[in-house]
Amino acid sequence: MLEFLFPLGLAAFFLAVVVPLVGSKIGAGKVTRQASLIATIVACGAILAFALEIVFSNQSFSLFVYQITPQFQFSFLVDRLAAFFLTLIAVVSLAVAIYSISYVEHTEHEERKNLIVSFMNIFIVSMVLVVASFSMFSFLFFWEIMALSSFLLVMSEFEKKETQKAGIFYFVMTHLSTLFLLFAFLFIYTVTGTFDMGQIRAEPLITSVAFVFLFLGFGIKAGIIPFHKWLPYAHPASPSNISALMSGVMIKVAVYGLIRFLLLLPMQTWWGILILAAGTTSAVLGVIYALKEHDIKRLLAYHSIENIGIILIGVGLYVIFSLAGFEAIAFLALAGALFHTLNHAIFKSLLFMTSGSIVNATGTRNIEEMGGLIKRMPKTALLFLIGAVSISALPPFNGFVSELMIFQAFFQSTVLANPFLEVILISSLAVFALTSALAAACFVKAFGITFLALPRSEEAKEAKESPKLMIIGPAILAAMCVALGVLSLQLFSVLGFSFPLPNMLFIGALLSGFYVFTFAALREVASRRERIAETWGCGFPTQTSKMEYTASGFSEPIVTILKSIFRTQKKSERNYYDDKGVIFKDGKAEIHLMNFFEERLYMPVANIVRKVSLKVNNLQRGDVDLHVAYAFATIVVFLLIIWWFA
Amino acid sequence: MDYLALIAYGILNMLFVLLISPLFISLIKIVKAHAQKRKGPPLLQTYRNLAKLLKKETVYSSNSSWIMRATPLVNVAAILVASLFVPMIIIPQPTDLVGNIILFLYLLAMAKFFMALSGLDAGSTFGGMGSSREMAISALIEPVVIVVFAAMAFAFKTINLPDMFRDALASNVLIDPVIILISISLFIIIIVESARVPVDNPETHLELTMIHEAMILEQSGKNLAMMELSSAMKQLLLMGVLINILVPWGLTADFTPQAILISLGAFLLKAVILAVIIGLFESSCAKSRLFRLPGLFAIALFLAIITLIIEVFA
Repeated sequence: MLEFLFPLGLAAFFLAVVVPLVGSKIGAGKVTRQASLIATIVACGAILAFALEIVFSNQSFSLFVYQITPQFQFSFLVDRLAAFFLTLIAVVSLAVAIYSISYVEHTEHEERKNLIVSFMNIFIVSMVLVVASFSMFSFLFFWEIMALSSFLLVMSEFEKKETQKAGIFYFVMTHLSTLFLLFAFLFIYTVTGTFDMGQIRAEPLITSVAFVFLFLGFGIKAGIIPFHKWLPYAHPASPSNISALMSGVMIKVAVYGLIRFLLLLPMQTWWGILILAAGTTSAVLGVIYALKEHDIKRLLAYHSIENIGIILIGVGLYVIFSLAGFEAIAFLALAGALFHTLNHAIFKSLLFMTSGSIVNATGTRNIEEMGGLIKRMPKTALLFLIGAVSISALPPFNGFVSELMIFQAFFQSTVLANPFLEVILISSLAVFALTSALAAACFVKAFGITFLALPRSEEAKEAKESPKLMIIGPAILAAMCVALGVLSLQLFSVLGFSFPLPNMLFIGALLSGFYVFTFAALREVASRRERIAETWGCGFPTQTSKMEYTASGFSEPIVTILKSIFRTQKKSERNYYDDKGVIFKDGKAEIHLMNFFEERLYMPVANIVRKVSLKVNNLQRGDVDLHVAYAFATIVVFLLIIWWFA
Repeated sequence: MDYLALIAYGILNMLFVLLISPLFISLIKIVKAHAQKRKGPPLLQTYRNLAKLLKKETVYSSNSSWIMRATPLVNVAAILVASLFVPMIIIPQPTDLVGNIILFLYLLAMAKFFMALSGLDAGSTFGGMGSSREMAISALIEPVVIVVFAAMAFAFKTINLPDMFRDALASNVLIDPVIILISISLFIIIIVESARVPVDNPETHLELTMIHEAMILEQSGKNLAMMELSSAMKQLLLMGVLINILVPWGLTADFTPQAILISLGAFLLKAVILAVIIGLFESSCAKSRLFRLPGLFAIALFLAIITLIIEVFA
């Protein structure tokens, strides 16, 4: 069965890639796009069945495909960890494919729609193959295909200035990631003499260097702070189905890589501290930056940074506890991190897809121009709310369970009996709690300002509910948010794990039971009289949307309290009618928030690189003879090096 | 496990919280009134208010959506579930079903999340202001609450509230310094979470001071009754955590009528004393500026972290 499902999935992906390319040449755009996405759904279904079979039966599946030389081979091995990530990729891609059938039709250019569909499939299949890879060579090969295909997808509206900036940003960052991974793999190769993942041997110094490179490589791709800047640029610029895939799935592939290599290399405690520190920083800064965003997609992008942080906190705890010899707690933390990876993939794709629907309906990404959409797009609103509640970690939804697991691991940190580690863990715990509460605040803002009260613009007033398929896709994920939360304990026991978690099915049943009971009791006991009236307009004849609280107003207390992080600068100018400054005429007020990392880290580095490359530029004359001479010289130098060492 | 006893515990505890909690709202008002040389409302005034609200018609804003209608029910449901987690007079047998302290906290957070949404729903400026401030304050108090809970978990070696109470009861140390530190932080948490001076002012409807009241300004009739009831219940639950950690004496694990009566009497006595302390504390300080509040929270966080450090090195 397994031997059949995996190739079936790949074959369906192949069709899904080729069909729209052919279609756009023969002028059968729409039909081929739909056929292609249906093939994607079939492929995801096959991969999902394949992966679930492995996850539940805990076996492994290996496949050897092709080798260039014995070192450079394409070989695949899917064990339980890889299958878990394949499940994640397949589930989210399935929902996104359904959503995309309607969504891609909103793009303007006919040919571009086909390209988006085709590249989207290359992107998905490359992620599947990265996770399935057994040799580091094929891992890196598909990793690069994943990077390139996603770059092309980000650039799909390439004529926009904003997209060009985002594209370059993403291109540079993703290649830095590949570069570090390449270094790491070469380091490991020098020790082991093979690219096989199964044969990594212990060698403390080399593995530590390799770990740092791996951490940088995967960290950049996962978007940990300070390498996060590409996320808030790339997500708003790309189509929403692509954002859903990139944020929901692609950054999880980086998490997979990190966890995979951590399990292969002999770990050291300081790695755990490094991962924990990076995770904590990303989590709290991610959510703090999210709070000030009013661009719905950028807000979600910052939340991805936050959630990657939470995942890394779990991974860091795993390393620390496992090296201290507390396997049970370590495993709880790792399971929490993995479960949060799945949960985040689900609710973040859900949120990106529903926000794509909103952006389509209103023509803006600025939530200050939205409002009142719950009445105009009730289904999208409900789906977004489920996503918001899950990401805010409210019970009994899935986000809560995974954060609970990480909290519970934290709560046992006194067993470590190492004051230094404990102080680190306690500080991290406090920051983690802050993160989780700020996320709730941020999603009250995101949901409240976008969907509730009166519409703040004509476009929002005219907004219409999305087509059916753009509801069904996200609805699958919303149902999973509920199911994975409520059935978490049962799911873990089916998989053969027992964690000391509360039974969320019981809590969920109680919550809904009390809800219904209170409703019924109030119908019996209380007055049933109801009246619809206007909200008090503060003395004005009618209430307008200008009287509502804005998103900036909503986040103002937190921005003020955390002003040292935002480096808030408030400027105000006032003009008066009289020269004594009594009768106010008009004025101007500005709040400027500093882009700390961009201004202090990225730009200085970019400037140095620019200076150096201008120098290097002198070597490039565009003269073919000269370039051939360079190539010749290079070969000679290499031969000399080889001769010297041989 | 004896499910019948567990169910009996659940129903009794829930009914106790449901029926007794409004009492303490009026009691604190009376204490504050006396501190100001006023007489204050009758002890049963909160019950009368609730009964009156239930009889009144419910007015919905034309801007509002189903969020406005669902919020009171979500609040009551979440707090009712949370009330199973804090044994007031009887400690249930050990169980995994209820009592997880983090889940308890997030049930309260769930109520708060929907309350903040409903504040934005009617589109009034006051509601938005209340929601915005409430979420800011709750975000800042969250690290304190978690660290205090972690300190409790370290001190009692469990994350289950009923088990903590059982341990506290069984402990032969009369007053443990660690518990005192935890209690001070818990007291600050009660003040913050039940929207009291100096954080919020439950008495006024002035836009400059109010937070909680602003959020529920657009609620009316039975819905307002549910909001009032759930905040009263939440206050009693947090008081219950403090009382049964600091002075668990009288608490019982037996189902005999005699033990329950003694426990009931003891709890009411302790809760009345705590309510008086809360009232006096409120009367003795002024409402502080919103942006001064992080200082208060820092004190609580400091105490909680000190507790943890004592735990680590002890």
